[in-house]
Amino acid sequence: MTAADSLERIRREESLDSGLNAFVSLAGVRAMETAVGSLSEVGRGTAGNERGVLGGRFVAVKDNLVTLDLPVTCGSNMLAGYRSPFEATAVRLLRKAGGIVVGKTNMDEFGMGSSTENSAWGPTLNPHDRTRVPGGSSGGSAAAVAAGYVSMALGSDTGGSVRQPAALCGVVGIKPTYGRVSRYGLVAFASSLDQIGTFGGSVHDAATLLAVISGHDRRDATSANRPPLSLADIVADPDAQGLAGITIGVPVEYFPDTLDTEVRSRTDRALYHLRAAGATVREVTLPNTDLAVPCYYVLAPAEASSNLARFDGVRFGQRVSAGSLLEMYQATRGEGMGLEVKRRIMLGTFALSAGYYDAYYGTAQRARVNIRADFERVFGQGVDLIFTPTTPSPAFRIGEKIDDPLAMYRQDIFTTPASLAGIPAMSVPIGSVQGLPVGGQLLAPWWEEVTMIQAARVLEATMNAS
Amino acid sequence: MSVDRAEVDRIAQLARLSLGDEEADRLTAEMNVILAHVELLRTVDSEGSRTTQLREGEEKVSVIQGARDEIGTPDPLSESPSTFAPEWEEGFFVVPPLPGVVAEDDEG
Repeated sequence: MTAADSLERIRREESLDSGLNAFVSLAGVRAMETAVGSLSEVGRGTAGNERGVLGGRFVAVKDNLVTLDLPVTCGSNMLAGYRSPFEATAVRLLRKAGGIVVGKTNMDEFGMGSSTENSAWGPTLNPHDRTRVPGGSSGGSAAAVAAGYVSMALGSDTGGSVRQPAALCGVVGIKPTYGRVSRYGLVAFASSLDQIGTFGGSVHDAATLLAVISGHDRRDATSANRPPLSLADIVADPDAQGLAGITIGVPVEYFPDTLDTEVRSRTDRALYHLRAAGATVREVTLPNTDLAVPCYYVLAPAEASSNLARFDGVRFGQRVSAGSLLEMYQATRGEGMGLEVKRRIMLGTFALSAGYYDAYYGTAQRARVNIRADFERVFGQGVDLIFTPTTPSPAFRIGEKIDDPLAMYRQDIFTTPASLAGIPAMSVPIGSVQGLPVGGQLLAPWWEEVTMIQAARVLEATMNAS
Repeated sequence: MSVDRAEVDRIAQLARLSLGDEEADRLTAEMNVILAHVELLRTVDSEGSRTTQLREGEEKVSVIQGARDEIGTPDPLSESPSTFAPEWEEGFFVVPPLPGVVAEDDEG
């Protein structure tokens, strides 16, 4: 499909009343054609080396990653119409590898939400059932891949914002190890948790894009000094041995009585396939799992309350005029930010304030150490990977949880532990329930993305064949 | 622990957020529901099985790899801040005066 055809299809379908509202902004036809035309032999992939690996493929980018050619709004009125004067490292790398940026995708404001309903530009709809949410906060990227508008997309995952929408939209979503991908040019939400991740219609596509954007970057102090993921390792055909020699742990805490019965049965079926492919499956315990949601909803808001202090109407973004400096700050932030963002800034400011700091922030930091220690222990006992459901239920209805913040936060119960521990994790489609996709989550030890991705490819192949 | 409306108003001041009356009432109720859930964290230090797994003498509670010093330099900006600042004059960001401070132009 040419750039013009691709953009025309997105514009036509998105302009309908039933449009998904997956994109916040789209590249111009001329800009895309110029980008395609300017691809060198290397960029087109004809030279067969890693630089041309994306070879002119169309990629969507979450609207909290800055680019030079498109606005960046983070789903917020605060940044309406704002254009960045620099470009994110991940976007620069994907363009260098021959990827063509089609547009910026809708998201929960500043990444805060699990449904993409908290966007100043309206909710994104789930392509499988337009009365339901696509998940969030990277809901636009997941929906754009699921609808076939693009074959791959960038998102960001702070507590599950790539894996949960991937599960609800029936696509693959990968969150790498914290530090694997540079955060330079990712608008910060919670800096100790934020990590750029990738979506694809297949494990191969999501993993290829991840390899392209991985690697050390001196501009991000938390970027790990490691070489990029090896594309050869990632795209190599799964071992003929299947998963022989791989031990997969199944944590009992991820299968509570309240787990949706259909999600449980799809997860059991996926485990059957993993066993059939040669993996040894054994039960493990991660006893601090119940602390993850309360821990996350103290630490992430605390970091957010600090990071979002920059949106004050002084240097960039919107300003609401007022008589004094303090009134200008308050009016600008009060009008520019949506309710969920205010809720988290309030929670975070409270958790960091004098008299409450140790009771909330300090205790949550200690809980985080325990959550990480659970994974260290299990991975130290011969377990190579962990398998769980990605979400407790399939996609819920638009509006169903928006007025109940705690019910929304509990959607993140299976995704926040990996974020807090900093380990890689990904969601793979494992079937559907009445047309709604279900995702299975693979978790791996720090820096072991290749093992995780290879197991995901085996699972994908066996699920597709069954 | 719970918060009342006065505490919410105080936190909003600290956070530099103007909240409408209804919004502040709603946030008061919601924050209390969320804080009640967060109480679970207290089991970390009170239950024997949940004793913090910090090593002796470990002062800094961090689970991420040690961040190195800021040695990189950011990319040069493609455009001057004058193109995106809400108000810009002669190389400065312009803001309203602090309360009680009279702007220069207003002086007799």
